[in-house]
Amino acid sequence: MPKHDKIQNEELRGLIAGAYTSMRAGQGGDAVRALSQAYLRLLELKPELLGKRVAMGRGSMLAALRWPMLGANLKWESLRTGKPEIELVREHFAVSEAMTYYEYTVETALEVNA
Amino acid sequence: MKFGLFYELQLPKPYDGEDWDPDAERRIYHEMLEQVELADRVGFDYVFEVEHHFLEEYSHSSAPELMLAALSQRTKNIRLGHGITLTPPAYNAPARVAERISALDLLSNGRVEFGTGESASHMELAGFGVDRGRKKAMWEEATREIANMMAKTPYPGYKGEFFSMPERNVIPKPLQRPHPPIWVAASRRETSMVAARLGIASLGFGFETAEELGERTREYYQLLREECMPLGHTINPGLAVLSSLMLADTEEEALRRSANGPGFFSYSLGYYYNPMTGSRHAPGRSNVYRRYRDSAPEARAMLGGFVEEAELRRTEPGEEVQRALYRAARAQGSIGTVERVREHLKRYEEQHLDVLIFVAQSGDRKHEHIMESIERFGKEVLPEFKDRHETVHRKWRSEQLAGVEFPIHSSI
Repeated sequence: MPKHDKIQNEELRGLIAGAYTSMRAGQGGDAVRALSQAYLRLLELKPELLGKRVAMGRGSMLAALRWPMLGANLKWESLRTGKPEIELVREHFAVSEAMTYYEYTVETALEVNA
Repeated sequence: MKFGLFYELQLPKPYDGEDWDPDAERRIYHEMLEQVELADRVGFDYVFEVEHHFLEEYSHSSAPELMLAALSQRTKNIRLGHGITLTPPAYNAPARVAERISALDLLSNGRVEFGTGESASHMELAGFGVDRGRKKAMWEEATREIANMMAKTPYPGYKGEFFSMPERNVIPKPLQRPHPPIWVAASRRETSMVAARLGIASLGFGFETAEELGERTREYYQLLREECMPLGHTINPGLAVLSSLMLADTEEEALRRSANGPGFFSYSLGYYYNPMTGSRHAPGRSNVYRRYRDSAPEARAMLGGFVEEAELRRTEPGEEVQRALYRAARAQGSIGTVERVREHLKRYEEQHLDVLIFVAQSGDRKHEHIMESIERFGKEVLPEFKDRHETVHRKWRSEQLAGVEFPIHSSI
């Protein structure tokens, strides 16, 4: 059973399931586009994620910024407005890049019981 | 659980000087040869050596293939691991990597572990013109094709996004057919899971606790069983993590001998990988060791010295890479008496870790102390773990891998 099946929100689970199918078919670009959409939806569903901070050195950083910067890049300035945006800097993505986004998105969703 | 040694070849500059002793680099290379020869004699299973470029003081290991070739002629059993080879083509032409791995495999009578990765430091990426945003895709494309070059006769050629070449027979072929076991460097949890999905072993740099590792191990093997899309022609199931090693008769003596090893290891790693400091490094002029020693007491407290595990958990950073650096510097790891280290390692064994790799050479630790630790570990700790690896862990692994449909080639 793929681990996104444990996600409770039906819409979010559907988005990630679509990404998973693309990833398994070797279509990294389609997978990353769907996962970007899913991550933005997750931030809408769980707005507390936007303000969550994690300790870093003697300071802290916004947890949302841990989203991998592999070409589907979260715009830093968009976090301040409360309307996060992800910029896709290219069409093509490798399968390992899609896998990285998949793991991050699913783990984050499961952590917050989405 | 099996055991290995891990080498960055660290060489801190003198605190009071601007340059190293003229003999310093020759000395650490020859010390590593001696240390690994001893490790081989006392039964260590692996040595892994990094490939890094331009990271002065942190790592003077830019040509690990030469060191591993030398070791292939001085050792009998120890597996010779690239920990890792940088496979984005701007660092190493893929066909040259395939040729070197195969040649080393022949020289060593089939003892090569093919560790792969991308690197993340500004000094290296900018030094070789590697696009940070594409390095993972470069790694994947090149690593897959390097495996093809070793496995296929002839290699049919390739037209890719990051490199292309015509049909050629890439020779020599490795002794381990179709290719040696493949690993990937993983500093984040996601990468370990990508490794499982691609059927390769994870060489972890997270300094995970035994408890965290249990969860990661379970998930890794589940993904490998259920969702694997192999990168290579065989799969190499395995999880390895790092720990710092220093043994002595008392805890105090082990800490004293450990000196600035873990602290400097972590500090210099953070220094090069943090864009704020790494991009401002003045090549040939900066003194990272002096900077470490002169840093504010609070900053050094974050990166050096040792605390009880309870305090460690209260104060450690939440961000994953920062947390790994913090743990590398502060967690006591495998530093202490034989008895303490044995109990510490049993906790990892209970979580079914495959390989634990020790960082022994780091900071300003002394060669004679590293040699003594290797010898004592090999003679006083290793034998019981070796026995249990054969009797308990192999059985656990075969249960985990039951039903896996892909051919397995692993030294674990």
